[in-house]
Amino acid sequence: MAASPDAAGDTVVIGAIVRRRADPAEVARGEYRVRLHLSQLQSLLGYGDRVDRYAIATRAPAATADAIARINDAAFGFRAHRSADIAVETSTTFAVVSRFHRAIGVITVVASAIFLLCIMLLKVEERRRDVAALRLMGISARTVVRSVVLEAAAIAVLGSIAGVGVGALASAIVNVHYQGVYRTPLKFSIVTGDIVVLAVTLSLVLGIVAGWLAARRLVRTPPLALFGR
Amino acid sequence: MLFTLAFASLVRHRARTALAVLGVAVSAAMLLDMVMLSSGMRESFRSLLLSQGFQLRIAPKGTLPFDTEATIRDADSLVALLRALPQVDRVSPVLGGQLHVPRASGAVTAAVLGLEPLVQGDYELVDGRHPMAPDELVANDAMLRAIGRRVGDTVTAAAGYDAQLRGLSGVRLLHVVGRVRFIYMAAEQRGSAIPLATLRAMQGPEASSRVSLAMVRLRPGANADAMRAVVERLVPRVTVVSTTDAIRQVDERLSYFRQLAVILGAVSLLVGFLLVTTLMTVSVNERIGEIAVMRAIGVRRERIVAQIVVEAGAIMLVAAPLGLALGLVTARYLNSILARFPGLPERIDFFLFQPASAWTALGLLVLSGILSGIYPSWRSASLGIAPTLRREAVG
Amino acid sequence: MTAPSMRDARPIVEVRDLARDYPMGDEIVPALRGVSFTVEQGEYAAIVGPSGCGKSTLLNLLGVIDRPTTGTVTIAGERVDALTDARATDFRLRRIGFVFQRFYLMQALTARENIELPLAEAGLRGVARRDRARTLLEYVGLSRREGHRPSQLSGGEQQRVAIARALANEPKLLLADEPTGELDARTGAEMIALFQRLNADGTTIVVVTHDEDLARAAKRVIHMRDGSIVSDERAARDRAP
Repeated sequence: MAASPDAAGDTVVIGAIVRRRADPAEVARGEYRVRLHLSQLQSLLGYGDRVDRYAIATRAPAATADAIARINDAAFGFRAHRSADIAVETSTTFAVVSRFHRAIGVITVVASAIFLLCIMLLKVEERRRDVAALRLMGISARTVVRSVVLEAAAIAVLGSIAGVGVGALASAIVNVHYQGVYRTPLKFSIVTGDIVVLAVTLSLVLGIVAGWLAARRLVRTPPLALFGR
Repeated sequence: MLFTLAFASLVRHRARTALAVLGVAVSAAMLLDMVMLSSGMRESFRSLLLSQGFQLRIAPKGTLPFDTEATIRDADSLVALLRALPQVDRVSPVLGGQLHVPRASGAVTAAVLGLEPLVQGDYELVDGRHPMAPDELVANDAMLRAIGRRVGDTVTAAAGYDAQLRGLSGVRLLHVVGRVRFIYMAAEQRGSAIPLATLRAMQGPEASSRVSLAMVRLRPGANADAMRAVVERLVPRVTVVSTTDAIRQVDERLSYFRQLAVILGAVSLLVGFLLVTTLMTVSVNERIGEIAVMRAIGVRRERIVAQIVVEAGAIMLVAAPLGLALGLVTARYLNSILARFPGLPERIDFFLFQPASAWTALGLLVLSGILSGIYPSWRSASLGIAPTLRREAVG
Repeated sequence: MTAPSMRDARPIVEVRDLARDYPMGDEIVPALRGVSFTVEQGEYAAIVGPSGCGKSTLLNLLGVIDRPTTGTVTIAGERVDALTDARATDFRLRRIGFVFQRFYLMQALTARENIELPLAEAGLRGVARRDRARTLLEYVGLSRREGHRPSQLSGGEQQRVAIARALANEPKLLLADEPTGELDARTGAEMIALFQRLNADGTTIVVVTHDEDLARAAKRVIHMRDGSIVSDERAARDRAP
């Protein structure tokens, strides 16, 4: 093992082969990693008495702030940071990706709402004559709207259940795929309880609102006009 | 007459038509965005790499340019060797480092590139001139703002820290002679450039004859891949990265976005198609009686199908440009999110509008929408006229 | 409207042993049982009978919008009982005019555009087509309603437009299925007068009707019952000498 291609280097014995940790910073980097004794690597690299960083564990969480202050007071050419702060910095990439996903999610929801309204309108209008006959019989507009909304809600519930199933399956597929591609045990997609609740609530609300709007349009039209007279 | 009837049918159901147009426009917008995303990064990166005309980049063995702090030793002989090759037009050696500018409260740290101004390909001059003399410096706006300097001012800067002496090392008084825009730096990244020899002197003896990267521009007609092989053979202690390699590496790292783009693009296409199919099917089913009457008075089946197809086509043709406009707006918004990737060069766009791909995608959507009208209308036009008239109350 | 310049010796309509059966679940219901008759050019015939006697079925077969189970139908010298779909469609366009009980106008089109529809299909373009449509509208007394949509027209007006549409391509035969069925008495009377005028101008007409007044206005009345013709009377004033 040498520090440059044409240097002599040292002979080492492979002591262990370790599994990659679920470290976000290691995703999408096709690097190989080795661990040596610090002194040997310093010697190989000609680093002398230098390191890139070192980690400190304090005796108690309360002591951390004090330790950081005292180190930084005395430090020259380096700074101390909380590990949590470093984690936030290094996961900026994932924060960006999260934000991107959220934006795509919002766009998808808006698009779905439009599609839903359009299809709901079409489907309800298909039954225009049935509605006209009911109204002529004396069934109130309110009853008609309620029945359409109930139907829309039932479809929304069934659709939500199917959607959660599809989403869970897709999530599993995404994880299996990207864990293989990036050679990491990181989970790329997690379906949590609150995500399910959000999705189901949203689809219910959208479905019911779409059904209500479509039904209202229909009952506003005089029954004879619905028959085309 | 065909268009009259088609147009009249669409206008008769204004709300439905408007919603369908909106729905298809949203599909078209998403499809366009995904097409832009799928190749945007790659094309944007490619044009960035080639913006100054350098086709090859030479980095320390096993690394990508500026991926690590490793440097190439004996770089001067390497550069001389490269410049002697007949296919080589220009070689730009670059040494990377950090510049520390002491201030009242701590120091401002910025990236610094040591380079040869006459052959460099790392920055564009915005104001002032290149740093031709040893003690001259150019910097970007972010750095000048941070150190509170302008073109014409001087600044004391250091290349490192000496822990034993507890002081700055490689201190130099530099004159700010130019304001620049660094091509490969991230937005808001503080950056500066000084002559290569100056940075080497500031970094100390271990930096002599070292570079982090050498960029090579070939003469017209030279084959980049062939030259890559030649250089790697001549100088085995380096890695030579062609533009194609660099793009492939970036592709691998950001393959997620391409795959996402393909999946979402396919879903958008499918949803747009389903929407128009549903619309056409319901619209045709509603008019089964009317269609039977048209057949009864002697209108051919093909004409009826053509009318429905024209209706579907009209929806798609109005929705497509709307979708294009919407797609461009959402692409800008999504791009602004992804542009915040740490370390991403300012000029990289994730969403790039390429007319050929865009028109192909939109054309596909329009065509699929048009075709969606064929089956339901043909089926309705093939029903028995008399029984259909008996069943349907029209008029 | 143009009167026929020369009387053709052959009948316009020749029906021989025409039968039409409908499958209803496991049963076969015979709507028509071996009907035979002819219609001369320029004739005005009414087919009457109780509901379910097969008169509408017969009209549909004459209109080439249905196919017989057995038997033959010849209209204007052409066998129409076994035409291909394309040929049947073309025949309906150019040789037959059909008026329906419920008018069946295109709701999205104006009165004039409804009449232009079969003209466009027959290949007439632009100004010529528009002028022909206007002429027909004038003939049925609706010149001032050319830009109105069906929803803006009364029942009688809609039926007039439907008649004008049926006459668009100068058909050899005008068929009408209960043309006064949706109209009030006064409007119905106007329609009867229109039919008489059409016939006087040379149009061969066959109507199916429950309306006694309409039947009386015809020159020949064919009575049907249970899928068969039970009587075929020419009006006394129109019997051949």
